Amino acid sequence: MGAAPLVMSGATKRFGAFTAVKALSFDVPQGQIVGFLGPNGAGKSTSLRMALGVMQPDEGSVALFGRAPDISNLRHVGFLPEERGLYKKMSARDTITYFARLKGMSAADAKARANELLEATGLGAFKATRISKLSKGMAQKVQILSTLAHRPDFLILDEPFSGLDPMNQQTLEDLIRAEHKRGATILFSTHVMEHAERLCDRIVMLARGRKVFDGSLDAAYATLGQGARMAVEHGFDLAAVMRPKGFEAHRAADKGPGDSWRVEFPSGLGAQDALRAALEAGAPILGFQPEEARLRDVFVSLVGEAEAAALDAPASVTEVEAA
Amino acid sequence: MRNIYLIFRRDFLGYVKAWGFWLSLAAVPLFIIIGGSFGYFAASSSPVRYYAVVEPSGVISEAIDAEFARSEARAAEETAALAADMQVDVSSAQVAAATPRKFIQVAPPARTIEDLRPYLLGEKTVAGPDGDKPLFAVFLLTEDGGALQYWSTDVNVTMLHYAAETAMRDLGRRDALLAAGLSADFLKKVDEAALPVTAFRLRSEAEPETGGSEVTMADRAPAIVAGALAYFLWLMVFSIIQYLLMGTIEERSNKIFDTLLTSVKLPELLAGKLLAVFAVTSTMMLSWSVFAAAGSAFAASQSPALMDMVAPFVAAATNPGLIIPALISFMLGYVLYGAIFMALGSLCDTIQEAQTLLSPMMILLMLPMFAIFIAFQDPGSPIIDYASWFPLFTPFLLILRIPQDPPLWEILAQMGLMAITTALIVWGATKVYRAGAVHGAGIGDLGGMIKAAIGLKPKTA
Repeated sequence: MGAAPLVMSGATKRFGAFTAVKALSFDVPQGQIVGFLGPNGAGKSTSLRMALGVMQPDEGSVALFGRAPDISNLRHVGFLPEERGLYKKMSARDTITYFARLKGMSAADAKARANELLEATGLGAFKATRISKLSKGMAQKVQILSTLAHRPDFLILDEPFSGLDPMNQQTLEDLIRAEHKRGATILFSTHVMEHAERLCDRIVMLARGRKVFDGSLDAAYATLGQGARMAVEHGFDLAAVMRPKGFEAHRAADKGPGDSWRVEFPSGLGAQDALRAALEAGAPILGFQPEEARLRDVFVSLVGEAEAAALDAPASVTEVEAA
Repeated sequence: MRNIYLIFRRDFLGYVKAWGFWLSLAAVPLFIIIGGSFGYFAASSSPVRYYAVVEPSGVISEAIDAEFARSEARAAEETAALAADMQVDVSSAQVAAATPRKFIQVAPPARTIEDLRPYLLGEKTVAGPDGDKPLFAVFLLTEDGGALQYWSTDVNVTMLHYAAETAMRDLGRRDALLAAGLSADFLKKVDEAALPVTAFRLRSEAEPETGGSEVTMADRAPAIVAGALAYFLWLMVFSIIQYLLMGTIEERSNKIFDTLLTSVKLPELLAGKLLAVFAVTSTMMLSWSVFAAAGSAFAASQSPALMDMVAPFVAAATNPGLIIPALISFMLGYVLYGAIFMALGSLCDTIQEAQTLLSPMMILLMLPMFAIFIAFQDPGSPIIDYASWFPLFTPFLLILRIPQDPPLWEILAQMGLMAITTALIVWGATKVYRAGAVHGAGIGDLGGMIKAAIGLKPKTA
């Protein structure tokens, strides 16, 4: 397993006249947690299905552990699809055992592993319970455990947090960290940027089927111009006093007493420098709030507010597909 | 192979763990036992009923009574003969004594229907061998003697009415024969004097004439076994429609295909599923067959005559010349139809949608059934020869034609054609299944897929 778990090169997928993914290139290096971000309909699921060989790209190529995806290299992959589903009449333990066996585990090992995972996640009492009798959250947990059971080297999780309550989201985050610690490489898609901020070493952002960013979190934040919000007494021209000190200030929407301004930091200067400059210029400061960089802001800056609004759209929006 | 086995095992256990499977399995033997017992208990528990005949001479009442006596004697003789076959020592008189008559003639308590009404309605009773009872029915000869009226409050029990009709027909026939100066058993003698027509089969010189040239059950058994096998295949294909449709819909609605297809190859998935459904229907039919075979074996052990009847069928069913091509046709036919139904099932999202597919599927399946009917009537018919070249019919008709010794090249050519067609169908079905299961294509997309496959429309995806 020397090769990178995943390399996509110029992968394009069309459904009729609709291009779902356009010339997508990125790679997932060994041992990293990579977030695959974008709003619903951006082409994330289609890209992941191409990565797994479930769909073939119309153009470009996909390499999983150095070669085209097939059943032998897929044995090292655990995949959690966006659209969850299990056999409703199977028990939790049988479900995990079945999927682990399909990935090559022996019957005895798969059963032992299923017991171990169910006990570890607090589902031990529901081993023999049919999936149809479990709560939605429990069933989702069982599906996630089915994905992990064979100890894959590479985990591909498509919107793993969707449908989980905050407590189970935290459990899943812990599980992802534990898998990463075990040595697994992880690629997960999400339209909720906060999960990526907490978990990822790297992110790949997608909008309308095209890659708009690929790099580390720091590199993502660096794409944003840093700045701060400053409120001054009504009528004071902050821009005029800040410009000689090397800062640009623009009027912003008022959010409190006085006039609100956004002060942009030039390269090498930060919030302390801006505040000091304003005080030295005698600005009647009523409030000061350095901006905290968020991935959502990065996405907005890259694709615009209208596109970013789709991040908040319901997760049920599905991509248009045709045979 | 391991993945095929795992898919097969899960699907098979999924089916056999369902209550419906065990109900279906138990239903056939249970219904046979219940049906048989019901008939026996209905016969033995029916009450003794009185009837009266109002006529001046007593000829009619004697004739009806004689008809009951005749039918009882006939039934007793048949039972005694069967008992003798089973080496049970019982005489017809003992059988007759053990089965008391259910309709007993009593003297009429009145002569008109008005006066008999209270007896028929149960307001009054008449004395008889089984105690005092109301009358069940009354026969009244009309004043001119031209008709015999049957009166009863229960029109559903028709046995007495039919017995009277038979008695009157025999009486009329006897009177007519006597009037013509002939004896009463003249017609019986005429029947016995007819020349017997014996069927012989001209055998080729190479064919052994172990049983002589006369046509026996051994000659007819291969055609009957082939017919049963063709019908069994048809029944099997008919039975799997529901399993394949519902099973695939469950997986499609459960969104489970993506997970499966990252673990197994699509052909492995299809093979495992087809095998599972085959095993489920086979288990059911084999269980019924074992039940039937056990019943037959028990009956045969009791009666050597039954053993003689079964032997030619066993010989035909174990003849490699018949059974090997028949089994190959059977397997190819099963895969061919199974792949079609599974592919169609993968295009359905709901049971309602699948139900709309059932009608065309039934029509598709009725076509070979018609061909089977024609082949039963006349297996050598040119229509069957021509129809057996049509791949959808070949699995059934080739099985039926084999006992007719068609030329070897025809058997091989039809098997080859069937194998090629099955391979093409499986290839196409895999494509359709992938489109349905992976890409979410529906029934409405099927036309487009076929057009794309034959190059009428550029492929869009």
